[in-house]
Amino acid sequence: MRDITLSQAVNEAIAEEMRRDPTVFILGEDVAEAGTPFKVLSGLVEEFGPDRVLDTPISEPGFMGIAVGAAMTGARPIVDLMFGDFIFLIMDQLCNQAAKTHYMSGGKLNVPLVLRTNLGATRRSAAQHSQSLQALVAHIPGLKVAMPSSAYEAKGLMKTAIRDNNPVVIFEDKLMYQDKAPVPEEEYLIPFGQANIKREGRDITLIATSSMVQVAEKAADILASEGIEAEVVDPRTIVPLDEDTLIKSVKKTSRAIVIDEGHQSYGVTSEIASRLNEKAFYYLDAPVTRMGAMDVPVPFSPALEDLTVPTPQSVADTARKLCAGELVHAA
Amino acid sequence: MPHDVTMPQLGMAQDAGKIVSWFKAPGDAVAKGDALFEVETDKATMEVEAQADGFLSRVTAAEGDDVPVGVVIACISETAGEDAATTDTAPAEDAKTRPVQDGMSLPEGDTVTMPQLGMAQDTGLLVTWLKTPGDKVAADDVLFEVETDKSTMEVEAGRDGWLAATLAEPGEEVPVGDPVAIISDAKPDAPVARSVKNGAKAEAPAKAEAPAEVEAAKPAAAKAPAPKPPVPVTTGGHILASPKARRLALEQGLDLGRLVEAGHPQPFHVSDLEVLRRMPERSTSAAPAMAAVSRRLTAKAGEDGVAGFAAWAADAQGLTGDTILAGLAGASIGSAVTVCVAVERFGDLAVFAVPPGPALSRVAPSEEAPDLLVRDLRGTHLASVEMGAEDVPVLTVTEAGGGLQITLECAANSMDGAAAIRLLSDFAGRMEQPLRHLL
Amino acid sequence: MTDSKTNSEDYLRMYRQMARIRTFEDTANQLYLSAKMPGLTHMYSGEEAVAVGICEALTDDDRITSTHRGHGHCVAKGANFREMFCELLGKEEGYCRGKGGSMHIADQSHGNLGANAIVGGSMGIATGSALRAKLQGKDDVTVCFFGDGATAQGLLYEVMNMAALWNLPVIYACENNGYSEYTKTEEIAAGSITARAEAFGIEAFKVDGQDVLAVNQLTQKLVARCRKGEGPFFVELETYRYHGHHVGDINREYYRSKDEEKDWKTNRDPIIRFRAWLVSEGIATEDEIDAMNADIEKDATEAVAYAEAAAYPAAAEVDMHVYAD
Repeated sequence: MRDITLSQAVNEAIAEEMRRDPTVFILGEDVAEAGTPFKVLSGLVEEFGPDRVLDTPISEPGFMGIAVGAAMTGARPIVDLMFGDFIFLIMDQLCNQAAKTHYMSGGKLNVPLVLRTNLGATRRSAAQHSQSLQALVAHIPGLKVAMPSSAYEAKGLMKTAIRDNNPVVIFEDKLMYQDKAPVPEEEYLIPFGQANIKREGRDITLIATSSMVQVAEKAADILASEGIEAEVVDPRTIVPLDEDTLIKSVKKTSRAIVIDEGHQSYGVTSEIASRLNEKAFYYLDAPVTRMGAMDVPVPFSPALEDLTVPTPQSVADTARKLCAGELVHAA
Repeated sequence: MPHDVTMPQLGMAQDAGKIVSWFKAPGDAVAKGDALFEVETDKATMEVEAQADGFLSRVTAAEGDDVPVGVVIACISETAGEDAATTDTAPAEDAKTRPVQDGMSLPEGDTVTMPQLGMAQDTGLLVTWLKTPGDKVAADDVLFEVETDKSTMEVEAGRDGWLAATLAEPGEEVPVGDPVAIISDAKPDAPVARSVKNGAKAEAPAKAEAPAEVEAAKPAAAKAPAPKPPVPVTTGGHILASPKARRLALEQGLDLGRLVEAGHPQPFHVSDLEVLRRMPERSTSAAPAMAAVSRRLTAKAGEDGVAGFAAWAADAQGLTGDTILAGLAGASIGSAVTVCVAVERFGDLAVFAVPPGPALSRVAPSEEAPDLLVRDLRGTHLASVEMGAEDVPVLTVTEAGGGLQITLECAANSMDGAAAIRLLSDFAGRMEQPLRHLL
Repeated sequence: MTDSKTNSEDYLRMYRQMARIRTFEDTANQLYLSAKMPGLTHMYSGEEAVAVGICEALTDDDRITSTHRGHGHCVAKGANFREMFCELLGKEEGYCRGKGGSMHIADQSHGNLGANAIVGGSMGIATGSALRAKLQGKDDVTVCFFGDGATAQGLLYEVMNMAALWNLPVIYACENNGYSEYTKTEEIAAGSITARAEAFGIEAFKVDGQDVLAVNQLTQKLVARCRKGEGPFFVELETYRYHGHHVGDINREYYRSKDEEKDWKTNRDPIIRFRAWLVSEGIATEDEIDAMNADIEKDATEAVAYAEAAAYPAAAEVDMHVYAD
């Protein structure tokens, strides 16, 4: 086992799959020599050539549509969407075309593509480069959505995504690219729909996605010093969602907070909280509580931006209240 | 400004109402909202409240009068200066009265005394006069109301004549047996209204208590108040508790209501069940509340069968009316052993041992504590009673129309509903047809 | 000239395909007018030479992407009446198991990547198919059908740009029928349509879309060049749709005169024209053509009857095929 960065993990996954399957190719902006502005794909064009690592013009709808067509006819493209915020540009190709083709064709056409993009604020990139839009695509039947929380998840989930015959959207937290984690050298895949219990606890379940997993773990440390044992669960993929693991955890602890960096309203936290409400109702000693980013466009100023996202302290505060029988979102 | 009191609109089709009783006497201070008088409609009797503060004056309608809707029957004036009989606008039958001065002699006539009211009572509080000095009275007219320690009682004139003098003012305590009024044969020239303390200025009349025996009145405070179970301080009476707490409480047979009664702060969580588990065992949470609730049942007998029977029984068997009552009541309990029944009438109390069986001759006086009290109010003007539960069940007999109304009152835990119903039914049946008893 | 016998077969087949499209559309229109068809559909009648002329230059390996007005492309690329009518009626035996309908009809066994309800929605798909061919060293060609109205979609310029940059084997076929829904093309497309492609360095051609032979000959040339890596190409085909934008667009005089319609139907009908040519060239007699037409009619009648009687998909299918295995 060696420690590698999330960036390296993604790179390894893609390279391994491109070696394995010649139909896999990459297209996007600045993916070739530049290896993307985040340098995640460095070295790939050197190994696989410009035919398989394709720089595109700044035409998100165009190259997304091209990816759909290529996928429909026998290739397995990986689309690099430089910022998750640009999902809005490609919605028709992603949600009307890619997501629905298999269904509309009665199961006869497949769209095996991966859309690789990112999320996450607190980089001072302001409102149009800081959004976490996983809820938008999770809402569309036909798409799968993966949210790696560390280098280990990133590699395993990417490999699974490339081999999946469906359109898969993978969100990486752009602030985590240099974060290291132990990653096996041997090949491994992380299946979709399998949550990971990162830390066991008795008193409250913290369900967190992407970098919020680290936030939850730090919150759990704070709570542990106060005698409150938090269980931290990483769903890894929100579509498909491993409900069983989440429900089992909440039944054990009787309390849950769902933490996601999408906006609090109408998002991932709401969906997961609703499912827990429906399926674990009689085990709840506290309402399942959402913690998302504030319902504001991400502000530029550092003084403001950091206020808009869950932090270990705010998660710990919320957990403490719930354990004490207090409501967090009181009427 | 004086406020007119009118006969109110009672119902769509009704254009007159009969005054059943006044709760205030002329000159009484009234507060807005006080019950002023009671009027009979075709559906029920209705209390009419005072619509202003002041003093009741210029009363022009008496009990029993039919008054058309909208007619002014009294006035609430700002000062106490006007009492019932001083103005020219008062109806003709009100004669002028003037306060009695020291040394003035009383008119001639029969004295009406403060009656014996109850076993332990020495004085009675005169609540209100229903007749004014100078009024013509009939023997069974109600002359005044007196408050006992249990309730308010009407006292009738007892003889025909004219009310020549009143010797106590409303609000005054009069010892039992003391004179309170004088009824003369002839219309007095100078009717007298005097207070107990001769020569003392008329006291401001005490506020009249709402009579508890008024038929069909809304349940008043005379009923023994039952301590209500503490209502949870939440909307709609919900108990706030987490789903898990509820489920565990249900599974473990714990009653969240006990936490509520104990005032434990809501919402309840699983940890609060610990408090609940540590609470002492209770048979039923309802039991204490029940003890304070009383039962009141009424029955009607079409005729007073006992009156005639008693006359014969006195002749034939030397049985007194009390004995008969005790025997009939005791038998109605349906006990297999001797029961002890007390009979109370006009302040006299007699206790009897009533063995099981139909033979009234075996009813004998007793010194034991009674199991049951029969309060015989036949011959008084009391129509119905609501006295609340006493130490033993009480059967009160009053006259109603040509027959009797019999009221059973007891504490809820002294007998269950079925037993109360049986007791009253049997007794009422026996009162109506005593010969049934012999069967 | 090439072997006339072979060409005769080709010509007869071209005629047959055009007649089949016309018959299919007439029948479909009747299904709508008699309230038997769920939803709406868009008639291709009048444009037969475009689809047929182009598709006859393609093999089953070559791909096409279609538009909301997709029955013509579907028939031209080799689809059968029965499965097509089943799809239009939402029956299980339809090409898409009833789950796509008229606007998403696809027949991948013959290389039809599907009709698309989004105007211009399949431009990316067509270009991507061409990219895949190039990447995988295949020589199949993809034709992207779209209308004059779709030239207003930004996606067209994005994909033409990339197709030109990467020399993709794609032919952009603009079926200019003079109207973008209810608006004349000249009111929605500034400048020249072919100039748009030329701006990207793409060779652009204009052709009479009612002349099936002209269309076919041009397409054959361009397909051959594509296979050699000389693509992409752009073709603007001047044509006309006889019906309204969709089957419900019946009272359309406010945007299109009856005289104009009559003129196209009478003087520029591709089927009448080609029939005349076939007869004059001695390739077929009137009787033979009538017999062919009768055959096609019979085929359509039987196919419709079959489709009307066919079963709907089972309720359990509603949530099948959301995800591929």
